[in-house]
Amino acid sequence: MPLALQTLRAIPARLRQRLRGGGDPNAARIRRRQALANKAWQGLPLIKLVLFAVGYLWLLAIPSAQFGQRTYIDENALQPGQVHTYWSWNDVHRADRVLEDLERLRDHNATSDEYVIANYVVGEFEKIGIPARTQHYAFDTVDGVTEGTNAYAVLQSPRASGTEAIVISASWLSRAGDGDGTLNLRGVATVISLAQYLKKYSLWAKDLVFVISDGYLDGMQAWITTYHGAAQPNLHAEPLTLSSGVIWTAVNVDYPGHSFSHLGIFFEGLNGRLPNQDLLNSVSLITRHTGGLPVLVHDHIDPRDTPNQPEILPSWLPDVIKSNPDVQEYAVRARNIVRHMNYQARGAASGVHGLLHQFRIDAITVFAVPATGPHGFHSLGKILESSLRTMNNLLERLHASFFFFLLVGPGTFMKIGSYLPSVILVGTAMLFSGLGEWVNAGWTLAAPPIGSDEKKEPSQASGATWVQRPRPVLLAVSIMAATHLLGVVLFYVVSSRLVNATVVFMLFSALPALALQLVPLPAPPSAPLATVLKAFNLCFASAVVSITSVLNFSLAAALAVFMGLPLTLASSSPSLPKRIAKYALYSVLALGWLVLCPEETRKAIWNWEVLGVWLAPFICIVYAPLVLQAALVCTLHAQSS
Amino acid sequence: MRWQYCWKTALVLVVQLAVVGAASEQFDEDLTIRPLRDGKLSARFSFSSLLKDARPRDPQQLSNDDEAQHYALFPLALGQILREYAVTELHLSLNAGKWNYDAWGYPDEPGIGTGAELWVWMGESMPASVDLRWQGLRNALAGLFCASLGHLDEQRTTAPALTFQPEGSLPNFTYPHQLRHATLPSEHVCTENLTPFLKLLPCKSLSGIASLLNPHRLFDADWHGLGVHVRYQEAVGVEVRLTFQGVFDPVRYSNERRRDWSLHSVFDRSIERACPVARSSKIRVELPPGSSPYSITPDPSAINDGVATYVVDASEEALDVAMRWPMEDTFEYPNTSEAPPLTEVSVRRNLKGTNQAEAQLTLVVTNNLPVQVTAGYLETMPWLLQFHLHTFHAHVNGVARDDLVSILSYTPPVPHSRPALLQAVLTLPPSSTLHLTMDVVKPFLRYTEHQPDAQRGWDLPPAVLVPFAFGKGQNSTVAASHGRRPRRIYTPIMLVDLATPDFSMPYNVIIMSCTLIALIFGSVFNLLTRKFVVVRVSSAPAAPAEAAAEQRQR
Repeated sequence: MPLALQTLRAIPARLRQRLRGGGDPNAARIRRRQALANKAWQGLPLIKLVLFAVGYLWLLAIPSAQFGQRTYIDENALQPGQVHTYWSWNDVHRADRVLEDLERLRDHNATSDEYVIANYVVGEFEKIGIPARTQHYAFDTVDGVTEGTNAYAVLQSPRASGTEAIVISASWLSRAGDGDGTLNLRGVATVISLAQYLKKYSLWAKDLVFVISDGYLDGMQAWITTYHGAAQPNLHAEPLTLSSGVIWTAVNVDYPGHSFSHLGIFFEGLNGRLPNQDLLNSVSLITRHTGGLPVLVHDHIDPRDTPNQPEILPSWLPDVIKSNPDVQEYAVRARNIVRHMNYQARGAASGVHGLLHQFRIDAITVFAVPATGPHGFHSLGKILESSLRTMNNLLERLHASFFFFLLVGPGTFMKIGSYLPSVILVGTAMLFSGLGEWVNAGWTLAAPPIGSDEKKEPSQASGATWVQRPRPVLLAVSIMAATHLLGVVLFYVVSSRLVNATVVFMLFSALPALALQLVPLPAPPSAPLATVLKAFNLCFASAVVSITSVLNFSLAAALAVFMGLPLTLASSSPSLPKRIAKYALYSVLALGWLVLCPEETRKAIWNWEVLGVWLAPFICIVYAPLVLQAALVCTLHAQSS
Repeated sequence: MRWQYCWKTALVLVVQLAVVGAASEQFDEDLTIRPLRDGKLSARFSFSSLLKDARPRDPQQLSNDDEAQHYALFPLALGQILREYAVTELHLSLNAGKWNYDAWGYPDEPGIGTGAELWVWMGESMPASVDLRWQGLRNALAGLFCASLGHLDEQRTTAPALTFQPEGSLPNFTYPHQLRHATLPSEHVCTENLTPFLKLLPCKSLSGIASLLNPHRLFDADWHGLGVHVRYQEAVGVEVRLTFQGVFDPVRYSNERRRDWSLHSVFDRSIERACPVARSSKIRVELPPGSSPYSITPDPSAINDGVATYVVDASEEALDVAMRWPMEDTFEYPNTSEAPPLTEVSVRRNLKGTNQAEAQLTLVVTNNLPVQVTAGYLETMPWLLQFHLHTFHAHVNGVARDDLVSILSYTPPVPHSRPALLQAVLTLPPSSTLHLTMDVVKPFLRYTEHQPDAQRGWDLPPAVLVPFAFGKGQNSTVAASHGRRPRRIYTPIMLVDLATPDFSMPYNVIIMSCTLIALIFGSVFNLLTRKFVVVRVSSAPAAPAEAAAEQRQR
């Protein structure tokens, strides 16, 4: 018995010994740590490779049918689709009459005089008994003055204290073609007719604010900024003489065609902000059940459901692949995600609703996808009525559901946890590469020293030893700071548009390389500048990617693609032509947009000036300098290592 | 024989009581109807009971037994509360909606602030202080009217005595009277408040004008509010006036969008019989000015000064007053930007700003008269919004005019306990608009202080503006000199968003912060208690045999 007990007692000790090894436990711990670090160092290339591969593959796998889950309503108060709608053909008739008036105004070229439309709209609202006013505004931009006149009306709801409000808006220009001049006449007519209809009911718990904004995005930006009293130096807008309370939700109506077949939901806001998912889900539920028509993410009609739709998959693919349901699903989802990422990464609003998110208003655009039928004012009115009733039910701000999500289909979404790791993995790979460079910079293999020193560690391979060397940290950091300062200059040059884009490109891509020639390079005992610069560059870029990923996933994904591998692969080369070629390549990656997409650049600048979209300064001050730093790494002649 | 005697005695007693009651108590009811220019209809019910020659209780006598309370018409439930807490004057209003001064003019009852408002004048006394009785009073009224008046605690109580002057007279007690005033803007008014209100009336809602108080219609009105007003008048007595005020929208009720109305169309009831104990019972209809022809039926008892008066009489048949505009097919709304506002002063108040820490309070006051107007401005703000008084500025047409704000008095708030009180006198230049702006700070709440519906935000009470002098210098007319007291203008209430934690995941937050604290504690503790020594580490671990030997030696 005692023997058995003794054996039992010895088990933990033996286990401990097996795990920790014998001897001094502290020494064992240090040895273990060294072994681990050694393993990690030896396996670093593999770790980097795996992280990059998994990260990029994950990004590619996001649209696959295996990911995603059904959407659901989280806020119990919403109760979407639980009401009878009373919107009738009388109201449709009234909308038709308003439309006739609007078309007459359009045909008489009233759009040239901005006040005519706004005054007409105000007159219509006043006739209904809803106080309405106009607001004139002008934005000063580099391209000149953007001006217009908004019309807005505040329906003070019976019994309501007027502390909360819902905005129902329609812009004069439709989002179809991104405000290129397609008029949103039917959207405006819907809102005016809806106003008269909604006034008949005393069930509204919140004020209803109707906004007919001029232009595409500029009108609403002027109105909402003035409403919240936010200062914008280049905006001259009349103050609003009618006011209401805090706006919680808003819906923007966009109906550019003659009739429509599907209702598209647009939800991307400025700077990558999204509305609460409950709002989208409620409206799409109501559209399907009350309105009886299919819902789309954006205006992407699924070719599998509707005949005569253009195929998404390229025609050169073999039919075996094209007819595979998984591949088709992948293509449909990929199209939605790419469109979404395109808006979000550029920080652009996919409709007028996007301007409201900056003021903590959950807003979406319902877009009547132009078609020859079968739906019109009747369906749209019913959907809007029911949606407004749902928003009216809110007792608190929308807060229950998701603010970060990827809507891969009308009824399918991905939680942030299922797509965020892809970019984080790429960021981690960059961080590991950077740290590897940092270690490389700090140590060098030296010839075996004379005599033996106990402190020196014998190297694994030969008799050579690792010796520490100074790293030119200050120089590397100064160069980085200088490139970012150059980015600030670049931003001012680009946004003032004083100089031709090609000249700017030539100038700003050549300048860093030329300036580098003036920098005294560190002498051989210290680490080569290229290594230290690359280490810092990668670590900083990794931090940028990781931080951006939680703010604006699409932008982070774009950065992961454009900076992940290129920055990691930046290296010098012994031959001068190769170095020059590499430098040129990186310059194009950094600043090529100046020459290759001038229209996109112009839009980004306008978005910054008028709407405050951060894309233009971000590209100029963060992205371009980071890539230029990688370009500089390529030009620096690698010294003895 | 004996029973018969008893019965007879009882009858005599009842008759005597009734006679005595009739002699010492009076009940008058009155309904004022005003068609408004935007097609709506304002109706004000007023039921006043007068206790003749009564005096409010002297708070010094609170420790002694009170006199017996026998009322025939005067509401006993309310009377008991008034005696218990020795209240001299009391005004309670429970309102829903936003009063549109520009289109509707001054209300018949001035207290129209959204939500609940309670203000009382009470004599100070030694054993039971005003604050103690104020607390008891609001709880008693909360019970009586089924309203959350208990929330009108010290965090909302102020004493703006200049704006809320007593409407009756104050008896000469040992100590002076004091005002207590509190508002609860988030209070919702509904039928559960009306039922106890009706119980206080001698005829309930069974007969007389009160029979029109149909909750289905009253609470569908665009604006509605009920009020309780108690005042003492020297040599007259204690008067309790129960009021109900509503703004109805006949255009909304009519399918043809006409503004025709009748008692039946608005209240879904007509007056079938008069209240037998009412001394007077009148319906006054203000006749609309303007050119559009109208008809009013039945013929009124009297018309003077553009007011048609109907006497609700026991002998008459069911009374259903109706007004029609036969020439109008549908009602045409007046253009709101052209129609002149109906009050001397229009006021808008907003909270501008987008972040959760700071905002800007803006008050836009427009003087609609061609003469200078002087107005008192009162802001009673819970500590949820803290003023930066040095940023309080006035502008007219973009020109700084800080001289237009005078006699500024400010009681700063005490976080978590007392509201701020800001009073000022504004001088409004003729036909111009004064912009007042002030930066405010949104404080950070303790997590227990958040409401159950935390993401809604906080309702802030209305500001009050009292225009009291019109004209300049010698020519100025003071409102009070016309025998009319200055009228209060309430601004709409506001909603403020304070920084709110995500209460949907408290456990995640708790777990997260506990983990962080544990990690920080662990590492700090480790560093503090550890002894640092230099260890020589050979590259290879000790041979297993050696280690085993070492082990054995131990």
